[in-house]
Amino acid sequence: MSVKHRRRKSKARRALESYLIVPLKVIVRNKAGLFGFIGIIIYVLMATVGPMVVPLDNQPKPNQMYLPPSWQHPLGTDSEGRDIFSQIVHGSRDVLFVAFLAGVITVVIATLLGTVAGFKGGLVDATIMAVDDILLTIPQFPLLSVLSAVMRLDNLLLATIIGVLSWPALARAIRSQVLSVKSRDFIEAARALDLGTRHIVFVEIMPNLMSYVVVSLIFAMTGAIYAQVGLVFLGLVPFQSQNWGVMINLAWTRGAIFFKNSIWYILSPIVAIAGFQLSAIMFSRALEEIFNPRLREG
Amino acid sequence: MSTVVYGLYKVYKNWFFRRLLRTIGIIFVTITLTFFIIRLMPGNPIEVFIASMMASTGMSYEDAKQLALAMFSINLDEPLWKQYLEYLVNLLHGNFGRSIAISPGTPVMKIILDFLPWTLFSVSISLLVSFVLGVVFGIIAAYRRGGWFDRIMSAFAAIVSAVPNYLIGILLIVFLGVQWKIWPIEYMRGAYSATVTPGFNLDFIVDVFKHLLAPFITYVLGTFGGWMLSMKANTISTLGEDYVTVAKAKGLPESRITIYYVGKNAILPLFTSLAISLGFIFGGSVLIESIFVYRGVGSLLWTSITSRDYTVMQGVFLIITISVVFSNLLADMLYGFIDPRVKTMGGGE
Amino acid sequence: MAQALEVGEKAEAGSREVVLSVRNLNVEYRAQRGVVKAVRDVSLDVYKGEILFLVGESGSGKSTLGYAVMNILPSPGYIRSGDIVYYVGGREVHILKLSQEEQRRFRWKHVAMVFQSALNALNPTLRIWDQLYDTIRAHDHHISREKAFEKAKYLLEMVRLEPERILRSYPHQLSGGQRQRVVIAMALLLDPEILILDEPTTALDILTQKNIIELLKGIREKLGLTMIFITHDLSLAAELADRVAVMYAGKIVELADVYTIFYRPKHPYTYALIKTIPKLSSVEEKLYPIPGSPPDMINLPPGCKFHPRCPYATTRCAREEPRWERVADGHFVLCHRWRELSLGE
Repeated sequence: MSVKHRRRKSKARRALESYLIVPLKVIVRNKAGLFGFIGIIIYVLMATVGPMVVPLDNQPKPNQMYLPPSWQHPLGTDSEGRDIFSQIVHGSRDVLFVAFLAGVITVVIATLLGTVAGFKGGLVDATIMAVDDILLTIPQFPLLSVLSAVMRLDNLLLATIIGVLSWPALARAIRSQVLSVKSRDFIEAARALDLGTRHIVFVEIMPNLMSYVVVSLIFAMTGAIYAQVGLVFLGLVPFQSQNWGVMINLAWTRGAIFFKNSIWYILSPIVAIAGFQLSAIMFSRALEEIFNPRLREG
Repeated sequence: MSTVVYGLYKVYKNWFFRRLLRTIGIIFVTITLTFFIIRLMPGNPIEVFIASMMASTGMSYEDAKQLALAMFSINLDEPLWKQYLEYLVNLLHGNFGRSIAISPGTPVMKIILDFLPWTLFSVSISLLVSFVLGVVFGIIAAYRRGGWFDRIMSAFAAIVSAVPNYLIGILLIVFLGVQWKIWPIEYMRGAYSATVTPGFNLDFIVDVFKHLLAPFITYVLGTFGGWMLSMKANTISTLGEDYVTVAKAKGLPESRITIYYVGKNAILPLFTSLAISLGFIFGGSVLIESIFVYRGVGSLLWTSITSRDYTVMQGVFLIITISVVFSNLLADMLYGFIDPRVKTMGGGE
Repeated sequence: MAQALEVGEKAEAGSREVVLSVRNLNVEYRAQRGVVKAVRDVSLDVYKGEILFLVGESGSGKSTLGYAVMNILPSPGYIRSGDIVYYVGGREVHILKLSQEEQRRFRWKHVAMVFQSALNALNPTLRIWDQLYDTIRAHDHHISREKAFEKAKYLLEMVRLEPERILRSYPHQLSGGQRQRVVIAMALLLDPEILILDEPTTALDILTQKNIIELLKGIREKLGLTMIFITHDLSLAAELADRVAVMYAGKIVELADVYTIFYRPKHPYTYALIKTIPKLSSVEEKLYPIPGSPPDMINLPPGCKFHPRCPYATTRCAREEPRWERVADGHFVLCHRWRELSLGE
């Protein structure tokens, strides 16, 4: 290899390193984070590719009710003889869609309002914080339940409303970050070097916020799943399609809970939900480490 | 001495008053919110009620409207702002209207007062035990960091707190009641058995606690994990503080250090999350009480929604929110009581 | 300087009573990268009634030595080997050999520490009175509140604080100087014979510093205490010290009375330290920092640890660790070349 080629790493290679390789290294090193990362990948694959690969078993076969797991039916069958595994795979789309959408909406609103409140201060800040306070105190699930009574909550609307109700926590964190960063030394330094507001915002402020944002995205998603599955379970939201919450609702209303054999039917969606929540939380810890180098061990 | 009293009074008034003002403000906003949700949403429930009354009993519009007035305690003829004011006045008198579906004609307040104590009872006991358990386990895990207790409990706490609490409830029924038959299912439905007479007799009390067990375990498992992990982290960082080294150097007894030097300081951040948890628990009661058919305001809210009993729904939602708001206030006051920096500096907002 | 001269002369006088004897002490810290040898084979005798200064840069081991002497090293630190002997109350006490409970009772009663009292040395959620009462009660369960209060009041007045107001306050309500005085009073609660002070004035402004120094002088007069004063600021030694021990990289490199240290230093590091102190009296003033930086305490260089920064280093210094040699009565140095070098004003 010629000396000339080896002298400096190209810009592209450096970018690749810091955005891809270093995070991957951190994830691999943190055992819980690795587990969470793999978990999330599995779920994402299940939601995107899964339904194309696994056909939905919609035919009622009364004679195959509540069969235990086997090669044909990895998770057994339900009260009408339908395969549970395919239901889980197809049901993941709904749940993950709402969770992701709600999470994104939360993050977008929170970042916007949080930065504006922090930067502008004064009356704008006070108003935003007042609204923030109110939304934080009013219990989310009862409010969603009441709203479900007066309007028809389809997936899109549900995700939007959950997103709109969940921004306060993150906005607060962002606002306090902005406030503290506003007066910190390296901002003064940037100003002294006359680097311009856009530079300050994007290069100095944003990276510090990234760890909060990413972690909050995960928490908004887990909260959205809690709310969505809960509402579906209580029958307050119309059944749209295959959905883990629907499965639990059916298990509950059809008394599957009280049968010994139907345990797979009730356990499958619960384990699916718990699995996703767990993976998300563990992955968020790894994400924290990635975005906040100070937390890294060694 | 009197100057101290006056000074404390002035400062306390400042912080406490602001908190109280904020509390009243939020309640006010909630009231306004519920008022307008009922009105301005598509499918105005009042109009729907009138229409269905007319259809089912053949009433005239006027008569139906009068009935609506009595039930919802609002007068549709008057301008909106006047209706709002009347609504407020009624609320202050405890007049939440009358039930239109669950128990037609019964004052909503009466129904709520029937159900509310059960929720307050179950939630407060569960929260208290959960908090104490979480704090104690957290301290132990911190002191014996890396030991078997720490590793097992921390893993357990992390896993359990990831599962939505109502799903834990279902799992309890499935495993304890159906699969392994450890706890009779009858005790996992309702707040008390039909066979017992309510009152201050031993049978009733024992029965009540038997029925409380399953929802109690559900609430506790759902929240104690967070407390424990939080307390563990706080304790570990407090143990590294200088004043703890100083306390050991001074030869203070281990127990005193653990409680007043480590514990007292480590527990402070937990109170802020206590407030958030309160809203979450009350909110979750809608689901958990429905699962266990427990006679609390949570299941009442669900019943009122599914039976389209708007007056009850409105009232219960208000009561749930007010409960949350006041518990927050209590938690804040408790925090101020423990952390002297808030008391003396006039507010830790 | 006149004061230092006086005290220096006193130090030359005949046989002295030893209150604390440190013998071949080794203290290490477990770090991620390896083991930090913070204190390396240090031996030291402390005489009754003197003020001994431990002076050195960050990482020299001075604070570690102070904590080790009371056996209160915070967690990753531990005493590897060595002996620490107290001669107090007519007894010879090997503190490292005592049980946990015996050590707990020994501490504060015979040897106490004055910490650098940033807000963190005091429990933020307890009133000052509670923290003082805690200390007294921990060692004497039967003492009455009134007697404890009397003691606290007496000591607070000695450090020139107003007892009524201070006892009722929380730490965050006091100024830095007040907190430092509280910490001093707290150390004196059980009438210890020895007082260890760890950078007590570092966090304070210069005027408050002066007040505290004056206060300490007064207390020494009044109570006849023995003090070990740990600091990085050599100029403070000129004000207060009887003897000075200069530390570098975990060892004492020079030990002598304060006058000798300032006017007849024999170790290049001591000399360099003195030269870094700017003098107000000079007209033209260059600053003389010491070039280089302190060594990596996990991977120490071979030979004399100061040799990388020493203007007089030879190949021998790079190969061989110097031995502890006696220059004169009460004056010791750790250097190969002290005889040849003529350092000094």
